[in-house]
Amino acid sequence: MTAICVKNLVKKYKNGVQALDSLTLTVNEGEIFSLLGPNGAGKSTLINVLTTFLRPTSGSVILFGKDAAHEAAAIRTEISCVAQRTSIDSHLSLTENMMFQSRLYRVPKPEAQKRMKSLISCFGLERYLKYPVSSYSGGVKRRLDIALNMMSKPKVLFLDEPTVGMDIQSRMAMWNMVKKIRNDFGTTIFLTTHYLEEADQLSDTICIMKNGKEVLQGSPNGLREYLRQDMLKINFPSKEEARNCFEPLKSVIELKESDLRHDKIITSLKNGHTDLEKANRWLLEHDIPFLGIEIMQPTLEDVFIRLTGEDAKEAS
Amino acid sequence: MGVLTLLQRDIKWRFHNAFTIVITILQPMLWLVLYSAVAGQAMQGIGIENYTAFILPGLIVLVCFGTCSSSGIMNYLMKTDGSFYRILIAPVQRSSIVLGQVLEAVLCTFIEVAIMCVVSLFFSVKIASGFFGLLVIILLVFMTSFFMAGLTYAISLCLPNEVLYETVMNAIVLPIFFLSTALFPEDKLSGGLKIAVNLNPFTHVINVLRNLILQGNIVTHDVILAILLLAVLCLISFSWALHRLKKETSL
Repeated sequence: MTAICVKNLVKKYKNGVQALDSLTLTVNEGEIFSLLGPNGAGKSTLINVLTTFLRPTSGSVILFGKDAAHEAAAIRTEISCVAQRTSIDSHLSLTENMMFQSRLYRVPKPEAQKRMKSLISCFGLERYLKYPVSSYSGGVKRRLDIALNMMSKPKVLFLDEPTVGMDIQSRMAMWNMVKKIRNDFGTTIFLTTHYLEEADQLSDTICIMKNGKEVLQGSPNGLREYLRQDMLKINFPSKEEARNCFEPLKSVIELKESDLRHDKIITSLKNGHTDLEKANRWLLEHDIPFLGIEIMQPTLEDVFIRLTGEDAKEAS
Repeated sequence: MGVLTLLQRDIKWRFHNAFTIVITILQPMLWLVLYSAVAGQAMQGIGIENYTAFILPGLIVLVCFGTCSSSGIMNYLMKTDGSFYRILIAPVQRSSIVLGQVLEAVLCTFIEVAIMCVVSLFFSVKIASGFFGLLVIILLVFMTSFFMAGLTYAISLCLPNEVLYETVMNAIVLPIFFLSTALFPEDKLSGGLKIAVNLNPFTHVINVLRNLILQGNIVTHDVILAILLLAVLCLISFSWALHRLKKETSL
């Protein structure tokens, strides 16, 4: 069943900035859907529209068969959103925050207390019960924020860049938590991120967006070509050196114009380690000064350049 | 339901930040205890027997200003470190969100006014109009506070930060207080000053409160006029606050 269906969504702010430009996407019920994009791609604006915080300029947003523009009140009972900035009331205790959320959603008190116990245990918050919320670390606050947003048993949980600013251990703990929410509670999860690895690890479906538009949507396996493609990177001492080498190197390995980026040549590996060996040998044989040559995982920027190729001009 | 939930949260905020109660009552209390004692003797010369009772209505209005101003601050704190935005996507009506916060300010006003009234008992202040007069006083205090709380809520959503908000509130409150009959009788004024004082809606509220405290007979006409005036002001300020809150999401 479709949980969210967005068609030709446009959001133009009153100050004239167009954040979403005819965006179309579909989210299925019970899946983890990752929206991947760089800063300014329109991810947060899309979440704000989907959570009924902002009204769309045009296009349609349907959540569980309800139109976000006209049935916002009905949609609000079925969703919850963990924003980038934690939204916990620091003057309330952990349990008071959770009960406050349940009262906002009119969850009966006995049911709310049952859910609260279960969520505190599920999110490992027991040891923080006796401390004031204002003394919590950022990671614990984030966990509490997610836990309290689960108090209303939302059908869709929106997570706006849930791991931004976290170290790798906290990020992995967060990934486990997100998977647990989906598996234990059957909640559809819509998250935004600008980490390729995160989207790859977590999602059933990934949508890559840029400049307010979707660029590509599919399963991580379907997008394997883009997400898990090894890249060859050669670092040169200067932009000129990189440019001078670029043309002759084309005869050694397959290169596209967009592979030349400032003082680097970055290309997807077509022939695995053979390309690395060939390039390395050619550089050494021709006494070309270079700082390093390596195989690496693609970054979000690499994926965009592959998908759109529009940064080629900027890079050169 | 939503109103009570938000009211409860806001009351907890108030008691968590109890200094806001102390700070907002401090100045009116100093006026009540010190200023009335010092100025009281001079005022006896112009026929005011109990100056503490005379200035109590003005100080009640001053308490309203103080508590409602601090209620507006809550919006800034909740935006930076609280549930302000989360509530906007919860299934709660916008009017309930405003009402919850406005009622908290009203409640806090009543607590502070009650303290002021208890203290003023030591200065031989009595409500001459009796129990019915007391009920009218409660209604007028409720409406004054409701109006001010709506106003401060709207202003807090108009101004970008709490420093500017505090500055603006100080610039509004003190001139309104001094350009009213809070400290001096109206009949001693003349010319442009008298017109300015009469244009101030709080002058009429203070006058009615003063009559209820000092005089046994209730002037129905004046009471109804003050209630109608406050009803219109409450409606305007609440509508403005609601409009500003809705604007938060119409970017």
